[in-house]
Amino acid sequence: MTSVRPKLKPETPKAITAWDTASGQTVWLSADGQWTSDMTRLGVFTGRAAEDRLNEARAQEHLVTDPYFMEVTAAGTIAGRETLRETIRAQGPTVPYGEVPR
Amino acid sequence: MPLIKNGCVVDNEWTFIDDSTDPDGTGLVTVSLPRYLQDVTRERTRNVTLGVRLTPSDDPDLLLPHLDHLPLIEIEFPKYTDGRGYSLAQILRRRHGYTGELRAVGHVLRDQILYMNRSGFDAFETARADLSQVLEALSEHSAYYQPAADGHPTVFARRHLRPD
Amino acid sequence: MYRYDEFDAAIVRERVDQFRGQVSRRLDGTLLEDEFKPLRLQNGVYLQLHAYMLRVAIPYGQLDPAKLRRLADIAERYDRGYGHFTTRQNIQFNWVGLKDIPDVLQSLSEVEMHAIQTSGNCIRNVTSDHFAGAAQDEVMDPRPWCEIIRQWSTFHPEFAFLPRKFKIAVTAAEDDRAAIRVHDIGLHIRRRDGQIGFEVHVGGGQGRTPVIATKLNDFVPETELLDYLEAIMRVYNRFGRRDNKYKARIKILVTETGADEFRRLVDTEYAAKTDAEKIALPQAEIDRIHAYFAPPDLTRKPARSQILETAQAANPAFQRWIRVNLHPHKQAGYASITISLKPIGGLAGDATTAQMRVVAKLAEEYGHDDIRVTHAQNLVLPHVALDDLPALYADLDGAGLATANEGLVTDMIVCPGLDYCNLANARSIPVGQDIQQTFADPDYQEDIGRLHINISGCINACGHHHVGHIGILGVDRKGEEFYQISLGGRADHHAAIGDIAGRALSREEVPDAIKRIIDTYRDLRTSAAEPFIETLNRLGHTPFKEAIYAAD
Ligand code: SF4
Repeated sequence: MTSVRPKLKPETPKAITAWDTASGQTVWLSADGQWTSDMTRLGVFTGRAAEDRLNEARAQEHLVTDPYFMEVTAAGTIAGRETLRETIRAQGPTVPYGEVPR
Repeated sequence: MPLIKNGCVVDNEWTFIDDSTDPDGTGLVTVSLPRYLQDVTRERTRNVTLGVRLTPSDDPDLLLPHLDHLPLIEIEFPKYTDGRGYSLAQILRRRHGYTGELRAVGHVLRDQILYMNRSGFDAFETARADLSQVLEALSEHSAYYQPAADGHPTVFARRHLRPD
Repeated sequence: MYRYDEFDAAIVRERVDQFRGQVSRRLDGTLLEDEFKPLRLQNGVYLQLHAYMLRVAIPYGQLDPAKLRRLADIAERYDRGYGHFTTRQNIQFNWVGLKDIPDVLQSLSEVEMHAIQTSGNCIRNVTSDHFAGAAQDEVMDPRPWCEIIRQWSTFHPEFAFLPRKFKIAVTAAEDDRAAIRVHDIGLHIRRRDGQIGFEVHVGGGQGRTPVIATKLNDFVPETELLDYLEAIMRVYNRFGRRDNKYKARIKILVTETGADEFRRLVDTEYAAKTDAEKIALPQAEIDRIHAYFAPPDLTRKPARSQILETAQAANPAFQRWIRVNLHPHKQAGYASITISLKPIGGLAGDATTAQMRVVAKLAEEYGHDDIRVTHAQNLVLPHVALDDLPALYADLDGAGLATANEGLVTDMIVCPGLDYCNLANARSIPVGQDIQQTFADPDYQEDIGRLHINISGCINACGHHHVGHIGILGVDRKGEEFYQISLGGRADHHAAIGDIAGRALSREEVPDAIKRIIDTYRDLRTSAAEPFIETLNRLGHTPFKEAIYAAD
C-alpha cells in the first residue's frame, strides 16, 4: 500500500519517511539505514540510491508501514509543496489539543 | 495450489480450461459460464465431466436448469476485496438450493474464509492459508446474527429457543 | 437502553480475540499491510498523519455513564487525555498504538462497546436522531430499529466487501435531525393505519459527488425491513461499480441506473427471496429489543419550573444557555439539553478525560443515565427535569461545557483536516477557530440565529461542507491552503447541496468573507425571525456571492 504523493525528480534531495508499524509514530530512515523518530538523524538520498533504499524499506513491512519519499533540502530540512503536511507529521497538530480553552 | 475442503486438505482433481483452449479434454474440467452453457448439452458425448467457474459479474440464475447435475461451481475472487462472490454463493445455495461443491478460487485469504464459509463455500483454493489457519478462522465465532448459507440458527432465533 | 445478552457479549469478545490475532500476525509479518488494511479498517483503525487512529462505535449515538467513563479511561491511559466525537456519532482516539488496540478493545467490550465496522467497505455504524425517545415530534422511538439494524449488519457475511462504505441513518421525526437524505440508506419511520413501517430513501451521500437521496419506497412494513434492506444491499453488492473508487458508492449506481430501474432491480430481488431466505425476525425478538428502550421513569412535574425561572432571572448567561441549548421534551417539566463541544477557540467535538467524567456524573445525577452524541459533534442529555437545570448548568460551566451556541454560527461541524488526517488537503480546525473568534460575541451570534457552517479539509466531505448553509472546503494550491465557499446546503428534511460561490480564498480571507455574508443577511432579512437559509433561498445567492468577493 502506498500513499499517492507528489512525484519527485531523481535529483531532488529526499528523505524516506514512514509509520512505525507497532506504534504508528512517524519515523525517518537515517543515513545508516536505521528507522528513527529523531528527525535530525534523517538521511538525505537522491537518484538510484534513493530508489534502492525505498525498495528496501518497503520490504520491511512488519517494522514500518507505507514508506515514501518526502522532499528535503540538501541539509535535510523539510522542503517542497508538502512542507506543511510533513511539518505536521513531524511536530504534531498546529493547534493546542487535549485542553479546555479559556 | 492447496485445496481445503470440509476441514481437510484434498487433492485437486479439477482443471480449469480457459475459453481460448481447445475444448477437447478429458476428465474433470471447469469452464467459464458462457462456455459451460454452450457445452453442457454435449458433455455426455465426450469423455469429460464439466464444472463451471463463475466470475463475479456472472448471473448465477443462468445455472438454474443445470444445478442438479453440476458437481462443482467455482467462484473466482479476482481480488479479495471484491465481495460479489459472497452474493453469488448465497443465491446459489439458499435461493436455488445448490448442493454440490462450491469452491472459492483466486485471491482467497485466511481472514475472508469465515465469511465465505457462511455464504456457502465448502472448498477453498488458497495459497495464503494452510489447513490449521483455515480451521482457526472457521472457529472464530460462536454466534451469528443473520441467517446465511451455513444454516446456523441466528442469534435472533436462538434467543427464543425454549430448551425442551 | 439496550443491554448485551450472552450472545452479543460473546460476539464482541470473540471479535477482540480475532483482532488480537490479526494484529499479532501483522506485527510478525505474516499479514502484509495490504491484506491487513481492510481488516483493521473494519475494526475502526486508521493510519493517520502521525499515529494510528481508533474509531469506536457509538451505535445511534447512545452512551451511558459507564461507557463514557470507560472512554475517558481509555483516553487517559492509551491516548493523550481526550477524544474526538464525530459526525457519525462515534468517538475517535488519535494517538493509540497498534499494539495497544487489542487491549483497548478488550476494555471497551467490558462496557458493551466495540469498534466493529466503523470503517471499511461494509455497513457502518447506524446513526439516528439524538433526541430519540425524548422528542415531541417523533412517531416512535427509532432506537429499537437502530439496534436491530446494528445486530443484523454486524459481521454480515455477504456484505463485508462492498464496493464502498455504506451508511444507514434512521429518524422517526418530521424534523430530520439524522440527515437521512445524505445517507446511502435513509429510513424514516412512519405510522400508517396503526402499523409501523419505513419510508426508504436510497443513494444520498456527500464526498466528491454529493447527491440527495431518492425515495425508493413509501412504506416497508416493519416485519419486512431487514429483508428489504438485504435486497438493496445485494443489488448494490453485485452491481455497484468497483472499477473506480470515486464511483463506487450506491448513489452512483442509483444515478447511473436510473431510480426507476434501480427500484425494479430491488423489487425483483426482493420478490425472488424465498421463505427459506427470509430473516423471519420473531415477534418476540422485536418485542424484546423494544422493551430495552422503555422511556425512563420521569416523575410528573408541572410544565413550568419556579426554580428554573428564578435562576434564569438571576443569571443572564444561564438564561441564554436555556434559550439556546434547550430542546423541548415529550413530557412536561423536562427538557433535552445540548452540551456544546464547540467552545470558542476549542477543537470542535473534542472532549477531555475530565470533561467526559463530568458529563458521566451529571447524567447520573440529573439525566437518567442517558447520554447521546449528536451528528453535529455535541453531546445531549435527553431527559433532564427543568428543576435540575440550574445545578446542571453550574457543573457544566465549571468544566468548560456550558457554551450557549447550539445551532448557532459558532456551532460548526469541523473535520480533523490536515492537523490529523492523512487524506487532507488543508487544515480545518484553525479556520474554524478563526471564524469562531469573529463571531465570539454571544449577542451577535444569537442575533444571527440558526446557521450551520460546515468545514471539510478535503473533498471526502467528512465535515459535511456540501450540506452546510455555508460550506467551506479546503483545497491545496501548490502547497498553499485555500478554501472554497459554498452556499445554500442543508441536511434537514429540505436537504440540498450547496453551490460553490466562486474562486477559493486564502485562509486569511475566510473569516472576513464569512462575516460579509452574514452581515449581508442581517441587512436583507425581513426580520430577525427569518433564518439565514430562508433569506438565502428567497433572494438567491447573488448578493451573498458578491459579499464574499467584495474585498476584491
Ligand atoms: S474531509 Fe478530508 S481532511 Fe477532513 S477528515 Fe475527511 S478525509 Fe480527512
